[in-house]
Amino acid sequence: MSLSAKARMQFMKDLGFPAMLSLAKATKGKRKPRKANPDFGPPLRCATRLKEIMTRHYYLSRFAPGARPVAWVTSGAPVELLRAFDFYTIYPENHGALCGAQKMGPELCAAAEDEGYSPDLCSYARVDLGHFFSGKTPAGKLPKPDILFCSNNICQTVVYWYKVLAHRLGIPLLMFDTPFNYGEITEANIAYMKDQILEMIPVLEKASGKAFDMERFLRLAELSKSASQLWGQCLETMQARPAPMTIFDAFVHLAPVVSLRGLPVARNYYEILLAELTDRVERGIGAITNEKKRLMWDNIAVWYKVRDFSELFAARGMNFVAATYTNAWAETIQHLDMSHPWESLAKTYSLVILNNNLEHRLGLMEKMVREYAVDGLVVHSARSCKPYSLGQYDLKRLLSQRLGIPAVVIEADITDYRFFSEEQALTRLEAFFESLEAA
Amino acid sequence: MSPAQLPSRGDYFKQWRGGGKVCAVFPAQYPKELLWAHGVLPMEVWDPPLAPARAQGHLQPYICSVVRQGLELLLAGGMDEVGAILFPHTCDSLQNLASLVADYLEPPAPSLFFYNPKAPFAAAAKGFYVSQLQALEEDLTLIFGPAPEGAMEQALEWSRRLSELYAQAYARRAAGELGVGAEEFYRLLRAGEYLHPRDYIPLLEAWLNEAPAQGGPKGQGIIISGVLPSPPDLMETLDGLDFRVVHDDLISMSRRLLYPPPGQGDPLEALAESFLAMPPCSTRGSSLSERLEWLKGLAQSGGAQGVVFSVVKFCEPELFDLPELRRGLKEAGLPSLVLEVDVNQEVGGQAATRLEAFGEMLS
Ligand code: SF4
Repeated sequence: MSLSAKARMQFMKDLGFPAMLSLAKATKGKRKPRKANPDFGPPLRCATRLKEIMTRHYYLSRFAPGARPVAWVTSGAPVELLRAFDFYTIYPENHGALCGAQKMGPELCAAAEDEGYSPDLCSYARVDLGHFFSGKTPAGKLPKPDILFCSNNICQTVVYWYKVLAHRLGIPLLMFDTPFNYGEITEANIAYMKDQILEMIPVLEKASGKAFDMERFLRLAELSKSASQLWGQCLETMQARPAPMTIFDAFVHLAPVVSLRGLPVARNYYEILLAELTDRVERGIGAITNEKKRLMWDNIAVWYKVRDFSELFAARGMNFVAATYTNAWAETIQHLDMSHPWESLAKTYSLVILNNNLEHRLGLMEKMVREYAVDGLVVHSARSCKPYSLGQYDLKRLLSQRLGIPAVVIEADITDYRFFSEEQALTRLEAFFESLEAA
Repeated sequence: MSPAQLPSRGDYFKQWRGGGKVCAVFPAQYPKELLWAHGVLPMEVWDPPLAPARAQGHLQPYICSVVRQGLELLLAGGMDEVGAILFPHTCDSLQNLASLVADYLEPPAPSLFFYNPKAPFAAAAKGFYVSQLQALEEDLTLIFGPAPEGAMEQALEWSRRLSELYAQAYARRAAGELGVGAEEFYRLLRAGEYLHPRDYIPLLEAWLNEAPAQGGPKGQGIIISGVLPSPPDLMETLDGLDFRVVHDDLISMSRRLLYPPPGQGDPLEALAESFLAMPPCSTRGSSLSERLEWLKGLAQSGGAQGVVFSVVKFCEPELFDLPELRRGLKEAGLPSLVLEVDVNQEVGGQAATRLEAFGEMLS
């Protein structure tokens, strides 16, 4: 790490970014505010703060190379380990969501396809590889990583994808292998994961040039835990009627717990978000003005349709109050126990929804339907994501049967809208609306 | 011994069922020795030739045909008489299929799971693999009863002999000393997917003894890479175009069959060591450089001039590795061709034309 790079990064943190932000605010002040949609309650005040945090994160990342070791990380990897070595972390999946929301999916996917990647592959991976080949990104510029850190607790896809990056960049790939839980988690699995974590420490020491400090690790792990718990509490506020935010808000406010977990900024952010949501609950302020039906979403967001979908549902008095996806960053954090850090870290990351059998997922969905008083289920069959999608037809059928709620499957993709038929989705949704209204 | 004398899967299964125990096994890698030791016949399910019907109600159209056909076989009653169904952990789709079947589709027999650790193998991988073997051993004992004394040693002996025979078959083919085409070669080797080693070893030995040294295709030397030598008409097409398949890099074939024979000593440790030293494979998370070096080595040993990638549509592990492998092979002077296949559909005329053009390009 070079001193000049460190000084430049510090300067950007202290002066460069704040100056850029003030300038942006001044320009924004001159723009005409968007007309309020009467179907929605007042927007969350925190949204501005969220935007600042994420912009700052991506902006400062440009200055990280040379100042801090840089890692590209999968969303389910135990990042607490990297935090202890002061890595600047970039989450390609979060970047994929950003590109998807900015409707850049097809363009970046096409750049990967030009290099031979099949359009049938996960579009987060194609977006990331497309960015890698073309340099295009709405985030300005992403820093090149020094290492890649990947865990297959969300999918095997990330292993294949990160292998490509490791090969192209000629950098180490650290892989945390989390055996799939076909049933209950086993002691053998926990021991295997713990051993892997311990094996990674010297590798990270070498990559970062820093010695491992257990106290620091525990402090950062605690920060990570509290951010995830606060995020879980934010989601729980949606049990209130009317719910103070929609799941479409949550898809966006999820970014810090994914990308900045283990840093004070994430914990602080969820403290203010929770305060705002609690206040809205107390004052009876709903995310939508006329909440008649409450819905649950299964799978990752359709990023290019978040706004359209939120308006479509809000206009009918339907609010999404729960999602298996947003819940994923809160549901296992209670396992993290600083008195047994390695075993508990292994459990926390192994027990996430996508590393568990379908019966576990169904149980979780049933629980959420009850706790959030859900009236209907929308299942996004995302062609990008096989681990999330294979089994959904049966999950939908069983959940409908067991709980007597209407459910619908829409075929789409997370970022690549070339695989989305609006007409077909709307036809299915219309039928769903009818059954929901009749229920 | 000719391929025509091989018993069909159906006949063999019926005959075996008389007094034996059968376990249906989904792709790809699993410790077959444990099943043999328990007197169980593994019946591998790769590409059953069924028209997709019932599976459609459970799987999205973007799920590969190996998963689809396997589920179709199960739903069509093709596993009704097996004693267990084993799902090795291979990819996301097979992982979820395992859970779907076990949790919701009321399978006709108990489901067994086997997690293969993924590369780059941590030091802990060996001990973990042994723990997986122990867990499977317990499950097999519960379902099929304990392995008789000496059965594990016998299973390892079969495994060592098969490893030798496979290595011999591949080496003779690469050296141009096996005068048979791809169709015959793979028909014989694929018989190992359903024949018990007691029956299979003598057949393979006889075939290797009797197979002519000359008389096979004489054209351009190629390697086929991908999932499995299917659909069968692809092999016929390659033979028809006189391609010399000098080697393969197929998940169901050389990536599993060219395993280092399990050594002496503790059987489970020996199996773990053998697993960890298998040829590189996308489904085990092997790095691209390892795979590339392996492919280049295969080409060199057999004098191949090009590589045909026969990739099952929607197969993520293979599709992700493809562009970098092709790029590396091109740099090494090895052109490649990609065919996307569905295991239940014939490759058709268009693929044949592309293969023909590829052959001309290589000449
Ligand atoms: S979308 Fe699904 S397949 Fe793609 S990276 Fe995320 S979990 Fe993996």
